[in-house]
Amino acid sequence: MLKIQSLCTGYGPIEVLHEVTLEAKSAEVVSILGSNGAGKSTLLKTISGILTPTKGSISLEDIIINGLEPSRIVKIGVVHVPEGRHIFPGLTVKDNLLLGGYFRDTEDNKKNMEFVMSTFPILKDRLKERAGMLSGGEQQMLALGRGLMGNPKLLLLDEPSLGLAPKITSEIFQIILDLAKQKEMGVLLVEQNAKKALEISDRGYVLINGRIALNGSSDELKNNPEVQKLYLGGKNV
Amino acid sequence: MFSLFFRGLATGSIYSLTAMGIVLILSTTNVMNFSQGDMGMFLAFIALILLMAKIPYPVTIIIIILMGIFLGFLLEKGLMSKVRKTSHIGMVMITLALTMIFEGIVGIFVKTPTLFPPAISGGPIIFGTIIMDRQDLLSLAISLIVVIILFLALYRTKIGIASRSLAEDEYAAKLLGIPVKNIYIFIWAIAFGLAGLAGIMVAPRLSLEPTFMLVIQLKAFIAAVLGGMNSVLGAVVGGLLLGVVENFVSFYIPQIKDSFSLILVVLVLLFLPQGLFGKRETRRA
Repeated sequence: MLKIQSLCTGYGPIEVLHEVTLEAKSAEVVSILGSNGAGKSTLLKTISGILTPTKGSISLEDIIINGLEPSRIVKIGVVHVPEGRHIFPGLTVKDNLLLGGYFRDTEDNKKNMEFVMSTFPILKDRLKERAGMLSGGEQQMLALGRGLMGNPKLLLLDEPSLGLAPKITSEIFQIILDLAKQKEMGVLLVEQNAKKALEISDRGYVLINGRIALNGSSDELKNNPEVQKLYLGGKNV
Repeated sequence: MFSLFFRGLATGSIYSLTAMGIVLILSTTNVMNFSQGDMGMFLAFIALILLMAKIPYPVTIIIIILMGIFLGFLLEKGLMSKVRKTSHIGMVMITLALTMIFEGIVGIFVKTPTLFPPAISGGPIIFGTIIMDRQDLLSLAISLIVVIILFLALYRTKIGIASRSLAEDEYAAKLLGIPVKNIYIFIWAIAFGLAGLAGIMVAPRLSLEPTFMLVIQLKAFIAAVLGGMNSVLGAVVGGLLLGVVENFVSFYIPQIKDSFSLILVVLVLLFLPQGLFGKRETRRA
């Protein structure tokens, strides 16, 4: 579904991603692993149109999306849930969710809202509250739910576990996995928590200094000594 | 006593209208809009021409608001959107340039302060010891209606909620696919519509000349600071509060009549820098 070919992106004259080639199918969870500054977030920002690539191409179901405005890319079906959640703290939970479906009509929004409520029942009781009052885990759920309101074909998740307790992280990761399979949605998951990410993903890519250094199925990566040493905390764990 | 209070409210409602325009623009587009007052002056000048051409007052008010909306649209579409990517300070300079352009244009035609007809004539309304000027009553009522409409627009309509989201987190709004460019147009249009209304409401009291809105613009800034600079509700309350307090001060301590509002701004920034309704700059991530 998603095909990225020899993609190069940067900030001004500084190139961050070099010749990245990557693929994700529908109903597949694909992890992007890598240390700080490897270019993981840059990759997601380029896919969602915040950054414009200098070279290469990105396509979703054979529609070329690189160089389009973010609002066009969302319509085509790519939703980016950013690092640090970026919910609107002063707006109500309901308004936050509705903004996720800005482009959908009222009918679709109603349906998607029901789906989000059934996925995250916690949000249901708090629709009228201001989003800033939610706990970290709830805010992450809201950010995810807001993304789902756009009814994406491809969901880009940037560090959904950031600042969350391990138990809540597991809960959210399970939901992500279920969503991918149930809605046949592709998920591109950027994570520091490589162990948990590999647990729920089908395949993974390892980014080092802006290049894809390794890729393979999650099991292959889990057993790769290099990956174990760098991202899984060595053999003892 | 009540007459003072009422007169203050009426003045304050004009501050509120202008301050709302400034705050809307600042919070969504991050541009300090210096042209809010003079846009009102320019539109009041147009209103005077329309009124002299015997166009009925209510129709004139509507034309003026629509014209403000159109000018706001034009400014964002034609100028601001072009400058946004290259220079932020450029956008602020454009608003300053607009004040000069408007004052220049009106200055060609209006050499001396010109009386502006009030929307409703007739003597003040008197209840016992309370004296209420008709024009004051009208501008207070109209401001109230406009504030209510504006709040409904900002809190109940899709584009209004999206505007508020843009003010909170532009990056997130972009990621959700909210058409940021259209929202900017929407906000400038509203702000200049408010400017036109403020201009035509206050002109009968101050008489028209190229610089007559400068004081209002300054007071509106102070009202906005008082309200917290990024809160529309704050701008409304700040404007009314400033109008009332100022009116009492100028009655009881006329010596500090002119400097009072400036002293107030210093005090607010010293002791309550986030204003009455503003959010603190540092937020939880």
